[in-house]
Amino acid sequence: MLIEALILVCLVGAAVVAAAPDRLAGRLALAVSALPVGGSLYMYAAFDGGGNALLGGDIAYETFFQWLSLGPYAVNYHMGLDGISLPLVVLSTVLTMLAILSAWTPVDTRQSQFYALMLFMEASLIGVFAALDFLLWFVFWEAVLVPMYFLIGVWGGPRRKYAAIKFFVYTNIASLVMFIGFFGLVFGLGESISSTGLPEIAQALRAGQLGALGPVGPEALALASFLAMFVGFAVKVPVVPFHTWLPDAHVEAPTPASVMLAGVLLKMGTYALLRYNFTMLPEQAATLAVPIAVVAVISIIYGALLALAQSDLKRVVAYSSVSSMGYVILGLIAYTEFGIGGATFQMIAHGLISGLLFMTVGVIYNTSHTRMIGDMSGMADRMPVTAGVFVAGAFAYMGLPLMAGFAAELFIFLGAFSSTVLPAAPLFTAVAMFGIVIVAGYLLWAMQRSLFGPFELEPDYEVGRAPLHDVAPIVTLVVLIVLLGSVPEVFWGMISDATVDLVATGGELR
Amino acid sequence: MVIVAGIYAYAPAIAVLPFVSFLVALLVGRWLPRKGALSGILATLGSLGLSVAMVGNLVLTGEGYDETMYTFVETAGTFDLTFGLLIDPLSAAMLVIVSFIAVLVHVFSLGYMNDEGEPGLPRYYAGLGLFTASMLAFVLSANLLMAFFFFELVGLCSYLLIGHWFREEGPPSGAKKAFLVTRFGDYFFLVGVVGVLATFKTAGFAGENGFPAVAERVLSPEASAEVAVDTFGFEPATWFAVLGLLVLGGVLGKSAQFPFHTWLPDAMEGPTPVSALIHAATMVAAGVFLVARMYGFYALLPTVLAIVAFTGGFTALFAATMAVVKNEIKQVLAYSTISQYGYMMLALGAGGYVAAFFHLTTHAMFKALLFLGAGSVIIAMHHEEDMWLMGGLKEEMRVTYLTFLAGSLALAGIFPFAGFWSKDEVLFEALAHGLESPLLLGGYLMGLAAVFVTAVYTVRMVLLTFHGDPRSDLAADPEAVRWNVKLPLSALGVLAVVAGFLNPVPIQTVTGVHVEFLHDFLDNAASEELLTSAHHYGDLTKEFAGYSTGTVAGGETATVLVSGGLSLGLAVAGAVFALRLYGGADPARHTEKLGGLRTLLVHNYYQDEYQVWLAEGLTLGVARAADVFDRGVVDGAVDKVSSVSLLSGYGLRRLQTGIVTNYAALISLSVLALLVAFAAMGGWF
Repeated sequence: MLIEALILVCLVGAAVVAAAPDRLAGRLALAVSALPVGGSLYMYAAFDGGGNALLGGDIAYETFFQWLSLGPYAVNYHMGLDGISLPLVVLSTVLTMLAILSAWTPVDTRQSQFYALMLFMEASLIGVFAALDFLLWFVFWEAVLVPMYFLIGVWGGPRRKYAAIKFFVYTNIASLVMFIGFFGLVFGLGESISSTGLPEIAQALRAGQLGALGPVGPEALALASFLAMFVGFAVKVPVVPFHTWLPDAHVEAPTPASVMLAGVLLKMGTYALLRYNFTMLPEQAATLAVPIAVVAVISIIYGALLALAQSDLKRVVAYSSVSSMGYVILGLIAYTEFGIGGATFQMIAHGLISGLLFMTVGVIYNTSHTRMIGDMSGMADRMPVTAGVFVAGAFAYMGLPLMAGFAAELFIFLGAFSSTVLPAAPLFTAVAMFGIVIVAGYLLWAMQRSLFGPFELEPDYEVGRAPLHDVAPIVTLVVLIVLLGSVPEVFWGMISDATVDLVATGGELR
Repeated sequence: MVIVAGIYAYAPAIAVLPFVSFLVALLVGRWLPRKGALSGILATLGSLGLSVAMVGNLVLTGEGYDETMYTFVETAGTFDLTFGLLIDPLSAAMLVIVSFIAVLVHVFSLGYMNDEGEPGLPRYYAGLGLFTASMLAFVLSANLLMAFFFFELVGLCSYLLIGHWFREEGPPSGAKKAFLVTRFGDYFFLVGVVGVLATFKTAGFAGENGFPAVAERVLSPEASAEVAVDTFGFEPATWFAVLGLLVLGGVLGKSAQFPFHTWLPDAMEGPTPVSALIHAATMVAAGVFLVARMYGFYALLPTVLAIVAFTGGFTALFAATMAVVKNEIKQVLAYSTISQYGYMMLALGAGGYVAAFFHLTTHAMFKALLFLGAGSVIIAMHHEEDMWLMGGLKEEMRVTYLTFLAGSLALAGIFPFAGFWSKDEVLFEALAHGLESPLLLGGYLMGLAAVFVTAVYTVRMVLLTFHGDPRSDLAADPEAVRWNVKLPLSALGVLAVVAGFLNPVPIQTVTGVHVEFLHDFLDNAASEELLTSAHHYGDLTKEFAGYSTGTVAGGETATVLVSGGLSLGLAVAGAVFALRLYGGADPARHTEKLGGLRTLLVHNYYQDEYQVWLAEGLTLGVARAADVFDRGVVDGAVDKVSSVSLLSGYGLRRLQTGIVTNYAALISLSVLALLVAFAAMGGWF
């Protein structure tokens, strides 16, 4: 019942914070958000699961009871964690707490509502990663959108309405496409399943029990469902060409919302791809290996080029997420231990690193009131610690060894290079790896122009050192990134344990 | 070697000590009296002591060390990624060089940075500490993956130190360029590392299970079927050559070899002690050291060796010609570094493993000396670097002048200074093996031509800086330097004279007295056991690359003498030529007579121009076009679709007027509607 306790703490906390006066809301929310951090770290320390939750592994912190029944299908309340989902839950709780702290300076209106929404979103995110029944999962999946919509739409920049609606509608339509795709599978499985539980469906699909649905044969049905789900999740990730909602949402969103959006919400997409497409339909994934790898490589290179062309620091970071998420897709389609494990590791690593960069850009924006690279120069002169953290974050993004991003990318490259599922795997990998040059180009160039050189600032604001509560979360993130990059076993052991069953299948595919 | 043999238990401290000094300077440096300099000196002295102990232990016991220290990740069924330490003659000798130069650079920095009242000292000493620690860890690396880790950290540190004076325009730009150009090379290196791991399932350098030894077994004529590696459908020899070339990308980048040399002159924007460290012992040396470290692999690949040799010879000459026209003292030294590392690459490509490391050693001494000497001059000149504003400094700066002269003669390859012996051995190897291979011979001829050019620019530099009449007020009244500048200069000055006697092969050939000390050390019993001995590498180049030793004038002794005589003759000729041109009290600007050639050289053959165009013209242009495409076409399509859909336009505007419950209701309703639809289809009711 630990997962439920975490969710409950967030929900009750959200209600309390919503009722609290604005001036206390920030501190109260921080205190509340510390509880799930403690809880998730305890769950990490006491984790006794093993294997993949969908493929018959030992599920940790499992809760199961009958909820409702729809015709022949039982819908159960089924929650639990394995080595893939636990690290993501830890990421969600830690990042939410730090994001709440980073909101103290920039959020100066309707604070109690803001922090309540953050905590509500945290509850939904934990639910997304822990739910093991499709309908239960879908409720959490959709519930995440609501707070994010308001965070962008109410506290955002000048074009916040447009960005919020674009985000909401785009991802919601994608959810519907995915929903249809998934139910195609459910109906195709017919009597061979008795519930909408994800483990049951995954195992039935892998056992080849998918039947025809009307005039559609099982193979065509599996392929169509794979595509529908892939497109649905691809919007969330986002994968080129479904990425254009992302820069708009990021640029308009307030810093803490950007942190959550890039840090955790994008991972919902890759997590779902892993849980649904790549776990349930490995043969279809193998069939589509080349187009998927092409999409991944395009996301990596094209996303990085777009980042290079931006003059708004936040857009630079936003587009670079597209590039980083491309690596996740490449790792997944490799179907090797390093590939899928590395993809999962990259979800955590990128969550921390992109969170760090968005927060740091936010800290600079708090004092400079501009994010345009051309408007500032030599910020390191006035904000030495913040600039130092920015440099650290940028190098983490560039894949500096002993930081989390490099570990993740190294695993993905190793996995992708020896993939037997993907034809010409070394070639795909080598092309994708060129992303590490472009990312260095745009981040170094951006730093040279904004942080270094003689100090100059276009709108003449008084620039002083950032307050402690701005600096504390970014320094914490740097420490976590170095820790995870130097000792990847912190998460690698459980991730590898939970993904190795998928790989066995992948190996047999060719 | 299960039992940790005594001293080796302390080996990790060699890299950890400077890392601790990094932490001290970073965290509490601002409260320390010398802002972190003293902890840095103590730490590097500790590293030096331990490194010397490693060498001593190797000599005395003949026992090396190759152990896994840390498992980065364990896998269920693929291969583990590990860190380990490899201590054999090569790494132990390199550890001594690196830590020795690091100590002197720290001491010198007291004079160059502290005494000059520079700001940001804790940051500076933190950078030096991390730089030294990364380089030492790189040298200690037992496998290619770990080497890559610290290779990259070396790159980071050079970025931080080159850009130390970040408030100016130049240093951040130079730092960016250094990291970006080397990152381009490291891209190939990383592909190579991944490829090596995917191919051999190990990246270990040494021993029977190291990847060079596995590759040797695969390629050997009596290869047994049981040695199976995944060569991705290629012939093993072809695939290994591809891997070797990929790793070479990183080497060319870090060691500033053509066409990746362009970052190095811009790196002169960093503080001068940093330049000394980068050029003599860390960043630039890392590339060449890596080739030496995995020479067991390269020795199997004749095509790659030929490319290495030719690139090296070409770079040696190419860079030397540019040094002739430079007016700033540090620029001359920068191009000379590129050129000298070209010689090392030439030696490696020509099968001269010992010669290459010998030249690396002597170069470390005389180039550190020259940079620190230049630093001393720059202090004296109040940070003026133009040699045409100097002149006559030898009277006021005796210690600097004499040591700088020793370093210059070593660089120019004048007998009996250090550079003569090592450069001579490099050229001898290239000639002896090149008689059989045209590509090698080409490398040799370019290297030989570079000897003349090197002597010209070196003597020109000395004459312009120290001789003649002072050409400015600054030069007439130079600022005095203290012990912390003179001490490192004196130590290195002595070494620039005597370091050549580590391995004076011609003396041995002529007199028969056995004096190949460095060669013997690199053939130590420990290296035989770890399969990293010079002797083993010699066998490999013979067997796999078909290298045979040719002779001229009828015998080995004659070949040694002809080769040595040629290079010494050219060096002396170049020195005399420069002396005639620039020897007077008021030398003229002779290079201006070169006309169009000078323009070409001053612009560095327009190498920067095309590389900047690649980055800013091409890549940025494509990026901007992609951005326009993305906003117009990709996002335009999204907006188009939404404007014709039901959920947009008027509908959207109505949506956004709602409150929370509206959206919650909308979502619930849509889910419910879907459920009902599916339920009806599925016949649940």
